[in-house]
Amino acid sequence: MTDVLYSIRDLIVEYDTRAGPVRAVDRVNFDIRRGEILGLVGESGCGKSTLGKALMRLVHTGKIIDGELLFDGTNLMTLSERQMRQVRGGRIGMVFQDPMTSLNPVQRIADHLTETITTHEPGVSERAARERSTTLIERLGIRPERLDEYPHQMSGGMRQRVMIALALALHADLVIADEPTTSLDVIVEAKFLDLLKELQQEFDLTILLITHNIGVVAEVADRVAVMYAGRMMELGEVNDVFADPKHPYTQGLLRSVPNISLDQGELHKMEGAPPNLLHPPKGCPFNPRCPEVMEICQMADPGFDPVYEGHLAACWLYQRTPSRSSTGV
Amino acid sequence: MAFTKETSPEAPDRQEWEEQLSRVGLIRRLLLARRWYGADWWFVAISSAMVFGFALVAMIPGPLAPYDPYSQVGPRFLAPGAEPDVPVLIVSEGSDLQDLEDLALPADQGRVPIGVVRGVPTADALRQRAQEIDTELTGDGEALRLRPEIERYDDIGDTLQAVVDGDTVAAIVQTTEFESVAGEFPTLVAANSITGQAANRGGFLLGTNQIGQDLYSRLIWGTRIALIIGFSSSLVALVLGVPLGLMAGYRGGKLDRILTVIMDSLYAFPGLILAIAITAVLGPSILNVIVAIAVLYVPTYYRIVRGQTLSVKEEVFVEAARSIGARPREILRRYIYPNVIPSVAIIFSVNVADAILTGAGLSFLGLGLPPNTADWGIDVARGQEFIQSAWWLVTFPGLAIMLVVLAFTMMGEGLMEIFNPKLRER
Amino acid sequence: MTGPLVEVSSLKKWFPLQTGFMASLLHRGEIPSVRAVDDVSFAIRRGEVFGLAGESGSGKSTVGRLILGLLDPTAGTVTFDGQDLSTLQPEEMRRLRSRMQVVFQDPLASLNPRMTIGQAIGHPAEIHMPNLTPAQQRATIFEMLDAVGMSPPEQFYAKYPHQISGGQRQRIVIARALVTKPDLIVADEPVAMADVSVRALLLDLMMELKQEFNLTYVFITHDLATAKYVCDRIAVMYLGKIVEMGDLNDVFESPTHPYTRALLDAVPVPDPRHRRTEPMPRGEIPSAINPPSGCRFHPRCPIAQSGVCDVLDPRLEPLPVGSAEHLASCHLRTGDYLELDPERGLRPI
Repeated sequence: MTDVLYSIRDLIVEYDTRAGPVRAVDRVNFDIRRGEILGLVGESGCGKSTLGKALMRLVHTGKIIDGELLFDGTNLMTLSERQMRQVRGGRIGMVFQDPMTSLNPVQRIADHLTETITTHEPGVSERAARERSTTLIERLGIRPERLDEYPHQMSGGMRQRVMIALALALHADLVIADEPTTSLDVIVEAKFLDLLKELQQEFDLTILLITHNIGVVAEVADRVAVMYAGRMMELGEVNDVFADPKHPYTQGLLRSVPNISLDQGELHKMEGAPPNLLHPPKGCPFNPRCPEVMEICQMADPGFDPVYEGHLAACWLYQRTPSRSSTGV
Repeated sequence: MAFTKETSPEAPDRQEWEEQLSRVGLIRRLLLARRWYGADWWFVAISSAMVFGFALVAMIPGPLAPYDPYSQVGPRFLAPGAEPDVPVLIVSEGSDLQDLEDLALPADQGRVPIGVVRGVPTADALRQRAQEIDTELTGDGEALRLRPEIERYDDIGDTLQAVVDGDTVAAIVQTTEFESVAGEFPTLVAANSITGQAANRGGFLLGTNQIGQDLYSRLIWGTRIALIIGFSSSLVALVLGVPLGLMAGYRGGKLDRILTVIMDSLYAFPGLILAIAITAVLGPSILNVIVAIAVLYVPTYYRIVRGQTLSVKEEVFVEAARSIGARPREILRRYIYPNVIPSVAIIFSVNVADAILTGAGLSFLGLGLPPNTADWGIDVARGQEFIQSAWWLVTFPGLAIMLVVLAFTMMGEGLMEIFNPKLRER
Repeated sequence: MTGPLVEVSSLKKWFPLQTGFMASLLHRGEIPSVRAVDDVSFAIRRGEVFGLAGESGSGKSTVGRLILGLLDPTAGTVTFDGQDLSTLQPEEMRRLRSRMQVVFQDPLASLNPRMTIGQAIGHPAEIHMPNLTPAQQRATIFEMLDAVGMSPPEQFYAKYPHQISGGQRQRIVIARALVTKPDLIVADEPVAMADVSVRALLLDLMMELKQEFNLTYVFITHDLATAKYVCDRIAVMYLGKIVEMGDLNDVFESPTHPYTRALLDAVPVPDPRHRRTEPMPRGEIPSAINPPSGCRFHPRCPIAQSGVCDVLDPRLEPLPVGSAEHLASCHLRTGDYLELDPERGLRPI
């Protein structure tokens, strides 16, 4: 079957706010397949960024209180912090949203790269690390002379490419990109996405692309997952999800996004607002806004189950009896 | 085209908490805040209680101070809590004799026998005091005379026994001596001291200084001075510094540059030295102290307000205010000032602490206040030379200064923690 | 009541990097400046939604502020309803503000955190309609809250901005802009910070208010998909200049300037079957301090011709075919060098 790189089971991440605990990620189950680009979409507050960080066990203010993170056979939850540090960067790389703040302003680009390499691979000499960095930078379309510049001397798009370079420098298997293009102009974004697709082929990368921009996901992702109120609502092949979305939230979301290539009439408007995570509604969190709500939706949680092979949805429309969350395929 | 009306506000978690809060009274709200702010709440609560306590003391020192801070009410260098060792009248229980004067008799009734211990200066004190009283009585034209017949005994036991037996009407002994044997003579009590000094009237809680003034009373009265100086000078500095800072920040240009140069120069000056210079020029009085310290702190308020104004000025809502056609004065008043003033309010508390400290420093150096004022700094200065023998003269005023400064600083810092980063989440 | 509502003519806004005496000494001649807006001219018709689109550094936001008089032009004029803004006294300008209002991108930053919603909306009324009694003022505010869908209005009147959601805040900002019944509203990225599902609501609200209050909009955005949804006409800006302008459908269906073509093609389409056809321009947007000579776009342009595009500054000219109102600023497409266009005759419109 398909080769699974990262299997996430029953992941729960909680924040302790002064008004009480908040579940930013509420029992999420899914797999990331080797070599794919998996798009993770949702609106603000749905928990997608928290999920991304949790996959690297980088959650600061909150806590992973339950779940299994089976990365390439190893449950990351069982690793010590020291071992995790090797995983981070070495096996899983991260590209953050704001390249301004994620690069050290007083360090040259070259130092960023060489330091990363030598820290993770102690046997490598400075010179060798520098050579590797140069090759990498050139591949990403940055002239090697710019290696000696500081982050503030580069544009946003270039800084994002440096971020990818950092992820690639250590031959990471998985790259988690959290809103990598949100701060970029549209043309730079397009070029960045092209680059991402090329790199995926060339370096055999697996990419988890977290974004609120549905168009970006449509452009690059192989599969797409939709999150809402800390839960995963739908997951499937990108063509399937866009052509025939199963979950009412996905349906509403896709219809409310303007499509520049079409002559659209009115855009769909979703009523209501995302729930207060302090006091989520009973049952399915989308039930107050769902146009197809049924009685059972307000009473019990639907499981995240297949509607058909390879396409899952957390919705009572497709399930007969209350069942526990089964595996995501 | 229809659009959806939003009928219920979305709720970030803070909002629901606020809904709850708006329905309860102020006291409940303060208590509920404890749950929200945790340790910071305690910080502010404790220090506010302390500040309130100090303010109370400052407002009504009279009832709280047992003695007049300026008069000599006790022996010199009395340690805290110690009994002043004075010669007292010992009489039988139930007797209505209280003072030496009560022992005066009509001239024809002869002399009254009073016992003392042999070889101790008490006899001298007795004779001296009796003489004084006698002179008074004759001067008044009274028919009474006080002519004691001094009976000397070998030790305290005999002296007191004589009173019990009735050989003497009363005995004069030192308080401490009497205390040590009082148990053997249950029928005897100590009346008042013969020198008029208070014997056991509450004692001297914190001891006395080299003049015999009660330290505790001086500290109580000193609170008033310290707080007055602290508050007034900070207030004057605020009233001067805030408007200047607002104007300089908003207008910029030449006014800003000139003012900033002046303020920076003042600020760069070592504070205490500047205050010394000003008080030296103006002369000693509490008003001059306030002026001197106020001048010192005007730059503090100026800089903070100017900095805040500069940053608030760039905010989008200020630009929005301009776009709706508001006049500069209106913008300053309704958009900039309310967003600048919270930081000032918080700085004020810490500033008062600072001012009190500076004031104590000035009076320690002998500047600003008239020399005999009941002030902590003056007390510390006076007590310096006796730090080894009479440690309490320096310690307690110093402790008082420390506690007040701590209370105000804690309150200011605590409020800053609560209001600045967390509440205004922007 | 005829004639354009706003007319912008040869507008320039340069921001010098340094000011003052020392700077002019040091630089002796031209002080390096950010050429945010560099010779821009257009007219806005009454009742239309005029779009100003572009990426960062294009100067669109600066143009918006120039129209509102929040910035003074370095050169050129802004005329509102026949009045040249630069000729107005401060007091006259203030009164004119009641007729042109702004909606900024970040609603939380646009509202004074110390004023209640009622106060915020009421302030323009206080300034421009001072003869209202408190009761009348309150009624006006309620009317506005109702108009933007914040119902019941009493519930929101005494709240503070941080107590309501982002989408609601933007509605409040819109309400504040409407209180004085302006003619023009400049909206600078009004929905950029709102969630995807809220954007449609806000956009529809703005369009409905346009009908109800007879408004004219200047819609500044970097999101061309949104622009397509609401605009009647659009001007595409690049590095301080307008490169293409015209009726929305004309520009989107027949994009002429190479930049416009690339820009439109780059917009992500929420359809996985869609593929991009245009090559993306090479390089990145250059600095506005030292823009390229000749046509600003030439270093990145796929059809740039050396000797022409790097030397001469193109002008906005109408297309050789199609609507006379569809203008583009390109030597090879609308200028004098049509024969040099390598794609001439090859591309279907």
